[in-house]
This record gives sequence, C-alpha cells and structure tokens, in this order.
Amino acid sequence: MYFYLPVALTSINILIPIGLGLAVGLLSGLFGVGGGFLMTPLLIMLGIPATVAAATDSNQIVAASTSGTYAHWKVGNVDFKMGFYLLIGGFTGGLFGVQTIKILRAMGNADFVIKMTYVLMLGIVGTYMFIESLQSIRKKEAIKEEQKCESKTAKLLKSLPFQTHFEKSGVTHSAILPIIFGGIVGILAAIMGVGGGFLMVPVMIYLLRMPMHVVVGTSLFQILFTCIEVTFLQAYTNHTVDFILAVLLLVGSTVGAQIGAVFGRKLKGEQLKILLAVIVLAVTVKIIFELTLTPSLLLSQAGGQ
Amino acid sequence: MKIVRSRESVVMSQKTGYRIRTLIVLALISMLYTVSPLLFADKASAELTLDINHSHIKIDFLYHGSEVSVKGTADRGTDLIIKITSPNGHESLRKKGKIAGILWMNVGQINFENVPGFYSIHSTKDIKKMLDPAEMDKYGIGYSALEKNSEITGISESDRKKWFAEFLKYKKGAKLYSTSVGMIEISEKEGILSYYTKVSWPYQAKPGEYKVTVYAVKDGKVIEQSEKTVLVEQVGIVKTLADMAKQSGALYGIISIVIALGAGFGVGIIFRKGGGSH
Repeated sequence: MYFYLPVALTSINILIPIGLGLAVGLLSGLFGVGGGFLMTPLLIMLGIPATVAAATDSNQIVAASTSGTYAHWKVGNVDFKMGFYLLIGGFTGGLFGVQTIKILRAMGNADFVIKMTYVLMLGIVGTYMFIESLQSIRKKEAIKEEQKCESKTAKLLKSLPFQTHFEKSGVTHSAILPIIFGGIVGILAAIMGVGGGFLMVPVMIYLLRMPMHVVVGTSLFQILFTCIEVTFLQAYTNHTVDFILAVLLLVGSTVGAQIGAVFGRKLKGEQLKILLAVIVLAVTVKIIFELTLTPSLLLSQAGGQ
Repeated sequence: MKIVRSRESVVMSQKTGYRIRTLIVLALISMLYTVSPLLFADKASAELTLDINHSHIKIDFLYHGSEVSVKGTADRGTDLIIKITSPNGHESLRKKGKIAGILWMNVGQINFENVPGFYSIHSTKDIKKMLDPAEMDKYGIGYSALEKNSEITGISESDRKKWFAEFLKYKKGAKLYSTSVGMIEISEKEGILSYYTKVSWPYQAKPGEYKVTVYAVKDGKVIEQSEKTVLVEQVGIVKTLADMAKQSGALYGIISIVIALGAGFGVGIIFRKGGGSH
C-alpha cells in the first residue's frame, strides 16, 4: 500500500519506512545511537528530499528514543543525573557549534575540513573501540592494567571541584566533566550535522568510565531531548518535518528499540562494544567510498545536512 | 494562396485579351482544383482539438500518481507533439566536484533559471527529424530548446553544456523530465486524424498548474497548436497537513513531538505488559 507524504511531496510503499524504522530502532535500543547515519541516506535514496529526510528522522528518533529510554529505565539502566549534565553541556555546545560552522563556511572549503575530521574521528574511535573490546574479551586483565595507568589523570580529575557521585553509573566525577564532554560532543555534532550518538557513546564509555548498559540507556535519554529540540526547530524554521513519514517510521522504530533493548540485556558489555565498533568502522568505510567513487549524479537538492 | 492564384488568372486574362471566357472557365476550374483541397485542409487543420480525461488531479492520502489520457483530432499529414510542462521557474542545486584530485564533495551551488519543474514530450516521430531547430526553440520543444532558454549561474560559461546535461540526468532520475516517441496512437478517417495517448502522471510531479499543449507539425513548422491546463492539487488530510506544516510550524512541530513521545511511551507500556517477565 502506498501513502502520499504531504511535506516530502512523494509517495511511498508503507512497508519500506516501517521496515527501515524497525532496523534502525533495533540499533538504537542496542547501542544507544540515533541511527541517522543509516536512516537519512536511505530516505534520500527513496526520493525524499534531503532536508525533509533529516528533519523527519529527528522526529522519528524522538519516538524511538522514548521507547528505548523507557525500556532501559525499567531495568535501571538510565543515569538521569549524568544525562542531565551531559545535556546542559550538549545544548550549550550546540549553540557554539552553529556559530562555529558559520565562521568555517565563511572561510571557505569548510565542508572538506569537516568531512575529513569526521572520517578521521570515526575511524579512530571505531578502531580504538574495536581493539579495546577485543582485548578485554580475550583477557580481562587488560582492563585492570589500563585502569592503573590512568590513575594519575584520575587523581587530577578527582581534584576538580563539584565532585558528584553518579549512583546508577557507579562513578564519581566532577560535575564539570560531563558538562565539558557534552559540550564538546555538542559542538562537533552541530558542525558535522550528525546526531552525536557515535561520539557520545565512546565518550561515556572511555572518558566517563560508565558501564556499557548504562551508557546505552543514558545516551538514548540524552538523544531524546536533543531530537525534540531539532524537530521543533526544523518544523518551525524550515517546515521540513513530514508527519506521515515520521509516523510510518516510528511504528517500526519504537518496536525495534524495545527488541534492541531486550537483546542488549542478553549481551555482555564487551560484546555490545565490539558490535558498535564494527558498525562505526562500517560507516567510516561507507563514507570513504562515497567520497572516492564517482557519483552517478553530480547534482542534488540544495539544503539538507 | 487562393488570392494569389485568382489574381494571376485575372492578369493573364487581361493581357491576352481574347478567349477570355475560356480562360476564366479554365481559371475557375483550376481554382476549384487547387484551392478547394486547401480550403478543405484549412478547415480540417482548424480542427486540431485536444481533450484531457481529467484536468483536475487530486492528491489524496493514497495518491500514487495518475494516468491522463490525451486525445483529439488533427489534419491528415501532420505530425503531432504533445508537451506537458509546469511553469518556468528557478532551481538551486548543489553540485559535486573533485577536491584534492580524489574526493567527491559538494562544491557549491548552481542556479538554473527559466527552466520548467516538470517537462514531458510525446511525439509521433523523433522531434529532431520533424521540426526545424528554430521552431523547436520558439515553442520550447526538446531539451536543446530548454537549454537555450535557460540561464545558468554559478559555473563558467564553458561548462554550461556539461552541467545542463547533468541537470537533465537529475530531472530524468526524479521522473520529472521525460520523452517518448511513437507512443501516440493514430487512426485516420475521412482525412482527419484521431490521436490518443495515455500519459502516466508521476507522483513526483508537484502540486501546481500544468499546461498540456498539442502541436501539429508540417514541413518542419508548427502549423497549429492547442492548449489545456491540468490542475494538480492536494486535498483532504494531505492538504491539511501540508498547509499546517507551512503556516503554523510551531504547532505542527509540537504535535509531531507529542505524538512521537506518546507512541514511544505507548509501545514501551505494551511491551512491558507483553513481556512482563523481563
């Protein structure tokens, strides 16, 4: 059956967005990422204008991350306190990022620099996560050694003011830390035009030393608010949210997020990490291909990203 | 032609001075012979007609494109071109280019002015074979005519051909530009041609007013044309939502968010009940 999308101005077989939502929702529930890296290009491939694809995806993520946060919260895997601090930082960082991108654009050739930075960062994060989780699956001692090595920086971090205990994550940090990290991710996400899940999850694992399962739930909680903000701004300023498409997508993604959360509970933290690392690396490879292979069309709709 | 011929015969008869009657009779006969088919033909070609089975396409919730049958009559011995087009306008597109020799990235914008958003040509024969280039440009028939009538900014003049070709590729890929040859059914009866063709109207064609024009072509020239309009309009829920998205973005955004939140919670609760063991 086909539905006509009033904002995208195109018709779509409803099974496609529902199926797509299911797959992307599954990734959300499992790894705590929004899944925009997969959803947006696929929607564009289906003939949805780029601007509508990005805006509608953020609307859909609101539903998927609500569903996912709910599922993880039920089993006590959402650190609301940490999420709140990260959000403060992320929101401020986002505002800075939007300004930074204007300056970068004015300097010219910004897109090149941004894209290269993005590819490099994904590549480094993916490789690091992959190697680290592979090692910790093979021998648990590797983690302990690492923790000893980091004790000097840990001491420095302990000397920062506003030390707070994050009960759910079982860590104690200065409240400044998540705000700063959230801010950096917010800046980068705004500059690169991505949701930031790929960056936030490793930050929480490796810099805030949170347990993987809490990372997933907390990341979803944080993504939920970011996407509410983005959806509203897109609807208000660009008029690019397609309600019908969003509903079709969320039918799949809300269910997918639940299934993902259930699956996630059955996997160990290390297993989740290595799977996410593989996905991050796959996305990196995909972007490299996109950049180097001759595109079939040299023109595309303006706007988007 | 008729006037010229009768004048000639009058002049001739005056010059010769004799056998006037015979000449007049001959002239009259020749007039009848030569002019009457022309008169008849004029009358027939005046009958270039155009009928569209529905001139108001409604985009509702289940719209997946439409089919429009275009038919009419034309003079025998003419070739036909049916052109469907939306008004000329402006299109801004991002262009990809190579950076540092190997990387494909968006490298700026190209603006195409005075190009139709939708353009479709159906003809009985290859239009290049039936129509003079000057006529094609004059009536905006064929992609080369579109190129000549367009204005492209954001690139150097020498790259114009290349980027217009890319523009066509983009438009054809989106099903917005198309051509067909020999898909018009023709039948002939008493010197009058009847033509009929079914045009599939792609769902990608945006709401708006479209012009359907049929051209009768003879000896490389357009000898007649007839035009009708087709209105493509959103109706019902589609229209309500599209209008709301445009006119009250804030409310539309809030509703979209609330429904997404509700759906997320709703599904969460259903799963909790369904999979209570977790």
